Amino acid sequence: MKSRIIELLSAALPMVDLESDFLFSELDSLGVTTILMVLSEEYGITLDAKDATPKNLRTIDSIVQMVEGKVKSLKV
Amino acid sequence: MFLSHFSSLTPDKPAIICKGQVLSYAELWERVQERSRQLRDEGLREGQPYDFVMSQDVDSIVTYCAVQCCGASSILYTTGTTGSAKGVIISAKAWTANAENLIDRLGFTSDLVFIICGPLNHLGCLSKIFPTLMTGGTLYILEGLKDLNAFFEPFNSSHLSTFNFQLSTFTKFATFLVPSGIRMLMQFASKQLSAVSHQIDFIETGAAPISQHDMEQLCQLLPQTRLFNTYASTETGIVCSYEFSRYGCQPGVVGKPMKHSSVRIGEDGSVICSGDTLMSGYVGSPSGAPCPSEIHTSDIGFLDEDGMLHLEGRSDDIINVGGYKVNPSEVEDVALAFEGIRDCICIPAPHPLLGTAPKLLYVPKEKVKDLNGENVKNLSPFNLFTFSTFLRSRLEPYKVPLFYEAVPSIKRTYNGKLDRKAYR
Repeated sequence: MKSRIIELLSAALPMVDLESDFLFSELDSLGVTTILMVLSEEYGITLDAKDATPKNLRTIDSIVQMVEGKVKSLKV
Repeated sequence: MFLSHFSSLTPDKPAIICKGQVLSYAELWERVQERSRQLRDEGLREGQPYDFVMSQDVDSIVTYCAVQCCGASSILYTTGTTGSAKGVIISAKAWTANAENLIDRLGFTSDLVFIICGPLNHLGCLSKIFPTLMTGGTLYILEGLKDLNAFFEPFNSSHLSTFNFQLSTFTKFATFLVPSGIRMLMQFASKQLSAVSHQIDFIETGAAPISQHDMEQLCQLLPQTRLFNTYASTETGIVCSYEFSRYGCQPGVVGKPMKHSSVRIGEDGSVICSGDTLMSGYVGSPSGAPCPSEIHTSDIGFLDEDGMLHLEGRSDDIINVGGYKVNPSEVEDVALAFEGIRDCICIPAPHPLLGTAPKLLYVPKEKVKDLNGENVKNLSPFNLFTFSTFLRSRLEPYKVPLFYEAVPSIKRTYNGKLDRKAYR
């Protein structure tokens, strides 16, 4: 899942360093909403403002974790 | 000065809440007077332009009010049609006219909390400071919309009480949002928005066209809120506004001119504005040049039989990125300074949130000849990330292209100019 997310996000946000340890601080409001849009479309999950926290968007790994959690709760 | 009135009428009331800091009307007036004295001591006189950086903090707002208090002009930088940014001189009189236009049409009141969630160096948000403070309301300043949850904090009474602000049943909220901001909130925070709908008195949008679908969705989500689409630009000031929640969602309709403004349509269909909100001129234009009595915009439109202005597009190549104007040649000039680029063109591309976003078509360069044209140096392979980092370090964020495509060549006209029409 991680490599797919990196692929999707680097296409949508070519100028953001996705490997950064401070990913949230590199994003602007458009970057944050683009991530929510791209991931909710790809995985059929609902992501909203409450998910767009600095903690969830801190690194690419925390984004993967958030998506995994959402996908899991879909299956339950 | 309007601040002296409210500093005696409601001295303890918060005038500005910003980054955990609160400034009452009494405190604000004291700081504005002190800053005005400093500015006068530095030689600032009535009618003179004063150049300063406006950011999302209390200190900037104090300076902005002090410049007004001195009767001096402030300078706003905007996308010029010739390529580089232009400084637009806006007089104290024009700021007052802008504020009175907004108070009259949108209805600012003393029980209003106005949420500023866009950049204060842009007319859309900066123009809301005076109407709010002239009517004794409260400004709530946010850093932007990056944290969508922060937008909803002021609606919570326990949050506001930490700033010595008692939320009452009369307290109402209002904000200015560019259309892409509205789309962001509707798409990712519609539940939160709907939950506070009874507290929102009005929302004003502008700076970019808003679609009929977005207008209708917003009306549904906020049935009690007054919703306005405003026509304004840095050069003309705030000219028209249309309450689409009341008169119907029609794309491109920006309403009748406000009380200090008038509009006519030129022979070529362009919108021509006049009135007290107009700029005094550009920085660097010959001193002593008379203030323009009319401004010919690049917007194309018509006036209907009721005197309402309808906008139909622009006559120039400016790309409207979610309300921020981008001049493609500025982006191209910066891109061509990158060693690995042979040619490029910046064009508008559809974007789901912004409407349009800048896209760069580029021709990568592999080799360069030295100055005498003999030795050929191989360049390292073109790297898009390095390139976009280069652009980001030299352009304002909204001007940096969001999309990139390598192409074998760029179309040019017979005399070597970029053939922009071919890419429309």
